[in-house]
Amino acid sequence: MTPLRALYYDGKTSQQREVLIRIEPPGRLHVSGDGIDFSCPLAHVQPSPRVGNTRRHLQFPDGSQCETEDNDAVDGIFAGLTSEAPGRLIHLWESRLGYALLALALTAAALWAGITYGIPALAKQVAFSLPASTEKAIGRNALAGLDRILLSPSELSPGREEKLRALFSKMMSDVEGAADYQLELRASKALGANALALPSGVVVVTDKLVELAKDDAELIAVLAHEIGHLRHRHTLRRLLQDSATVLLMAAVTGDLTSVVSLASALPAILVQAKYSRDFETEADDFALEYMKRHGVAPESLGAILLRMEEGRGAAADVPDYLSTHPATRERAERSRVAR
Amino acid sequence: MAHQADTAPSAPSDVVPLRFTGQAGEYFRIWIVNICLSVVTIGIYSAWAKVRRKRYFYGNTLLNDAAFEYLADPKAILKGRIIVVGGFAVYSFAGKIDPLAGIVLLVVFLGVLPWLIVRASRFNAVNSAHRNVRFGFGASYGKMGRLLVLPIVLVPLTLGLLYPYYVYRKKRFILEHSAYGATPFVFTASAGAFYLVYLKVALMFLLFLVGSIVTAGIGALPLYIWFAAYRDGAVARLGWKSTRLGSLRFDCTWSTAGLFKLHFLNTLGIVFSGGLLAPWAAVRTARYQLQRISLEPAREIGAFVTAAQERVGAVGDEASDLLGFDFGL
Repeated sequence: MTPLRALYYDGKTSQQREVLIRIEPPGRLHVSGDGIDFSCPLAHVQPSPRVGNTRRHLQFPDGSQCETEDNDAVDGIFAGLTSEAPGRLIHLWESRLGYALLALALTAAALWAGITYGIPALAKQVAFSLPASTEKAIGRNALAGLDRILLSPSELSPGREEKLRALFSKMMSDVEGAADYQLELRASKALGANALALPSGVVVVTDKLVELAKDDAELIAVLAHEIGHLRHRHTLRRLLQDSATVLLMAAVTGDLTSVVSLASALPAILVQAKYSRDFETEADDFALEYMKRHGVAPESLGAILLRMEEGRGAAADVPDYLSTHPATRERAERSRVAR
Repeated sequence: MAHQADTAPSAPSDVVPLRFTGQAGEYFRIWIVNICLSVVTIGIYSAWAKVRRKRYFYGNTLLNDAAFEYLADPKAILKGRIIVVGGFAVYSFAGKIDPLAGIVLLVVFLGVLPWLIVRASRFNAVNSAHRNVRFGFGASYGKMGRLLVLPIVLVPLTLGLLYPYYVYRKKRFILEHSAYGATPFVFTASAGAFYLVYLKVALMFLLFLVGSIVTAGIGALPLYIWFAAYRDGAVARLGWKSTRLGSLRFDCTWSTAGLFKLHFLNTLGIVFSGGLLAPWAAVRTARYQLQRISLEPAREIGAFVTAAQERVGAVGDEASDLLGFDFGL
């Protein structure tokens, strides 16, 4: 072979010397020039991996080093070295645009599969293998916090409250694992007609919602939806899924720092909104299933949801992909065909 | 190789700029394979990806016909990442379950922060080399802890008035504890020079605010990029011009207009390509920034001596990544 031009550094100072590298028959590498003249078994030379067309460094056992631009020659010299095989494979992948576009397609497919199936399935597995006390611990202070900032005591008549509690107790005995759930009634200007499920097993219903409901069936629909959130452990799963999404974005962008930047925050927000919509659908399904089994008309769910939306007014302008809830019309349609 | 015209000190002043030889197309292929393997291996490959990325940028940075080298072991970085992600998960869960536990963990974290930053800086430095001579970083944890009192306690307490002083102290601290081989860096700027620069930066910020209001918010993004370009350029020029390494002096000619054009086009490119032009932006940024840093006298570069070395784990490196601290040179 023609000798390989390289720069030599002795590892003791930054002095640069121009040298030539030759391969000698019994597997030895010979370096000479500018006062340097030594040889060394090929097996003792450590080449740096090939990354693009950057220069290669050959490290010798005595701490000295050669730097060269001739990547193909270095690849040729160390072609037989199996420890370099993974690096060679990755370089091959990186060296053609076609292969790189394949990587792009594979990335898109893996992200889609991970977001749609991987993360939700994993979070579900983890959430249901943790004891119920985990969620209770997370939500222990949630109601007290809400009472301070958003909620005030209920102003419903005692008779109305009595009826509601009776409905709820009946449902608790119907649903397996719901025995220690709690119903809390509150008034709230900010929330309007609304209901929420807190991870500690508390279902909060606002006075306005009770007033908005035309009959018991509609109240049952709302309560069943919230119990669905609790039974499916949605708070814990959301926590797990949102954390996993952040980590996934970190894997994509290469480091955790950029997670705070908008470029990767926006996809994370979209994914988290999608997960929220999926949970709402799951809670709807739970409610519809419950209503069918206990002889309550499923379309009551759609009816009260539509009326809640009317009361909120223009909120329906949020595009679907940004919204935390599926479009109410679709949810109502699902409840109509559930029968 | 080794014999291009620009490597011979043809200019009588013996000034030599850094050169960056990376190509957007080439880096795009490395970048997308890095992402693909990181996602498919649920993040495990990201440590190898980081090393490949840094090797690409270091390896394409040339000074007087010698490349820089990044030598970190991906396995050390992976170990660091696992610890950081685990610690982060414990912290966020503990905070959700019991705010008090979250606070306790935060205090513990602040306690180990000086250690983390020193280790991160040392890991980065000793794994960077040029002409087979490694960089180095050595500072005691106590000294680092005292420095951190500035940004964590004193800067907020003085409503930011001490911020220029903190930037000055930070730069001086990093440089005076950094070395190339056995030769330490020296920082010659004064705190007053930083106050002067930040006074002008504050005025530019006012202009940005006024301009944003006058244009009813439409001009806010370009004006902000202009402001950031002014700030980054002014601080970098002061920093580099005040840096010495042995008999070497540094110069930096980043201009506001140049940085503005760079970052404005980068932003447009990244936004309108859905992120696919990020590698193009990274290569352009490196080319602009590196090629406008120069050293003199170039003939002295061959006269540095290696220091005794020590191996450092990567935990600090990853943790400081996470916090957005950039303590590198």
